[in-house]
Amino acid sequence: MRLTRRDFAAGIAAGIAAPYLIKGAHAQGATIKIGMCAPVTGPAAESGGYAIKGAKLALEAVNKAGGILGKQGELIVEDDQTTNPGIVLAFSKLAAQSDIVGFLGSIRSTQVHAMAPDVIKLGKPVMIGGTDPNLTHMGNQWLFRCRPNDSYSGRVIAEYGVNTLAKKKWAVLHSTDAFGTAGGKALTEALTKLGAPPVLDQGYANQSQDFTPVVLAIKQSGADILGSYFTFENDLGIFARQLRQLGVNIPWVGSPSIVNITALKLAGPALYNTYGVADYAEDSSEGSKAFGKIYRDAVKVAPDNQSSWTFDAVNVLAQGINKAGTTEPGKVREAILAIKKFPGAEGEYNFDQNGDGLHGYNIVKNDKGKIVFDKHIEFND
Amino acid sequence: MDLALQLLFTGIGIGAVYALVALGFVLIFRATNVVNFAQGEFSMVAAYLMVVAIEAGLPYWAAFIVALLGMALLGVIFNLGVYYPLRHRTYLPVIIATIGASILLANSVLAIYGPQPQVLEGWFETPGIQVGPVYLDSQYLLIIGVTICLVIFNFWFFEKTLLGKKLQATSQDKEMASLLGISVSTMIMITFIYSAVLGGLAGILVAPVLFVSIQMGSTIALKAFAATIIGGFGDVAGAIIGGLALGVIETFGAAYVSVPYKDGFAFLVLIAFLIFRPQGIFGERVAEKA
Repeated sequence: MRLTRRDFAAGIAAGIAAPYLIKGAHAQGATIKIGMCAPVTGPAAESGGYAIKGAKLALEAVNKAGGILGKQGELIVEDDQTTNPGIVLAFSKLAAQSDIVGFLGSIRSTQVHAMAPDVIKLGKPVMIGGTDPNLTHMGNQWLFRCRPNDSYSGRVIAEYGVNTLAKKKWAVLHSTDAFGTAGGKALTEALTKLGAPPVLDQGYANQSQDFTPVVLAIKQSGADILGSYFTFENDLGIFARQLRQLGVNIPWVGSPSIVNITALKLAGPALYNTYGVADYAEDSSEGSKAFGKIYRDAVKVAPDNQSSWTFDAVNVLAQGINKAGTTEPGKVREAILAIKKFPGAEGEYNFDQNGDGLHGYNIVKNDKGKIVFDKHIEFND
Repeated sequence: MDLALQLLFTGIGIGAVYALVALGFVLIFRATNVVNFAQGEFSMVAAYLMVVAIEAGLPYWAAFIVALLGMALLGVIFNLGVYYPLRHRTYLPVIIATIGASILLANSVLAIYGPQPQVLEGWFETPGIQVGPVYLDSQYLLIIGVTICLVIFNFWFFEKTLLGKKLQATSQDKEMASLLGISVSTMIMITFIYSAVLGGLAGILVAPVLFVSIQMGSTIALKAFAATIIGGFGDVAGAIIGGLALGVIETFGAAYVSVPYKDGFAFLVLIAFLIFRPQGIFGERVAEKA
């Protein structure tokens, strides 16, 4: 058989076109794909596992209920390595797959900041759990938050400490990353408005091995209550133990990490009798209770916000696509922003035009290792 | 004053951990002329071995012995698998191989055990004692005690025993040692075993304070590496002094200047040494004739 120049050119053309044709055919295939950046490795790998489980459970439920636009949903996970470069790489890998219609970003604000420019370039909906208020106020129309932001957590911590616990001399401790800085600022502002400006505003670098200088600074400040924003559970565990060892037993109201499973395991009794603002509290609503049951049955571990926000993110995204009736990003965006009174695991979703779905926090107490719901504080402004 | 005493104790405690890991760096450097960047991972592996042994039902002391034996075995494997095949090459391929081994160890533990950080209880039931205004964490007391014992042991071992002198001879001049009938490869094997056990010991001792996690080794190793440079690369006393100095400097720097820049102080000192005294505190100046 003789190979002509025309045969050769046709063969080359077919070879080049084949992957695209196959990919195109696949895009029209049986599933609707959702991409997820999650910390499979790195310091947050444990909580990353919970996050993936939460998302998978939601997708299972969505699929059982008829799927997304009549098709089965499929989750594609990429490891973000718990680092900023890691999430940029993970997101670029997912973004390169044109058949992925929506994404789950990170619970860490600093990582969401890192990926945000690429999110704008791609122009598809990305559900996030990062709570830095700026994330939904910096002109990025594709970020949709499935947790209440820190302007609310700061206000709830301040309000609870000042009005319920009747404490006025605050030490504010926060990580120096984007999440911690924004949280610390929000808490300081809220305290100042309530007439109780902090006597100590202390930052710390993530992955510190020793918090003795911080504990001694708190002790010397004469503070009678502590408010905190910790990013990593390891840091929180080390700090909590050293705080108690060095004899500081003032009331402590912390950001959501203070009640997550990893922190409770690592710090143990050092966190007893502390308070936390929790976006997820099992007894706070019917939706929260329902998620708690599903999660416990499937994972055999108590649920926390690491899994609840991804559970909600998948449900909200699926609802948005179904309501839009298409995967066209602009229409899905409008449909998500139109979601009101949606009962999620984290609470009732009422999206505003910035992309914030939740507007309040729960206060919970660590009662000898058991997380007990106290009350929910919702804001309308 | 009370504050300074508390900071001094904590600084020495954390510095002793750096010193233990730095000692492993130094011993391998003296024997092979290369920096073992997997030294920190030795600490992490030992801490996980300890956790696994305790989960398997062994009492604490038995788990400790099992973990150290495991580290001795890892030292043998590391020598045969990473150093020995490259022993006739320049230092660069060996260093790269140790970096590769460090990544392999971290990811192997991740794959086998999973990402969950673990709690390892300390040796003592009492978490610490209050002496006047200073709280003495029992685990830090143990770490300081072990470091002192190791300094004494190292002096005795390297200066007073035949095996120690053989190891020193090998580290100083391999060819001459070989001509004198010393088995150089055996001496290097012993050095790797000893360094792995030392790194492991540091990991087991610090785990009750920092928790057991995949990252624990790399965090400590970075500071320990800085400590070896400050103390004088290749000097045992330098590693100890460098580690302790680093721990104290960063703790005081954090307390009196800035907490977020705590790590910055350690590396600022490192940069200052590299500029003004690159041979470190105890290192000798090396010059080449033109």
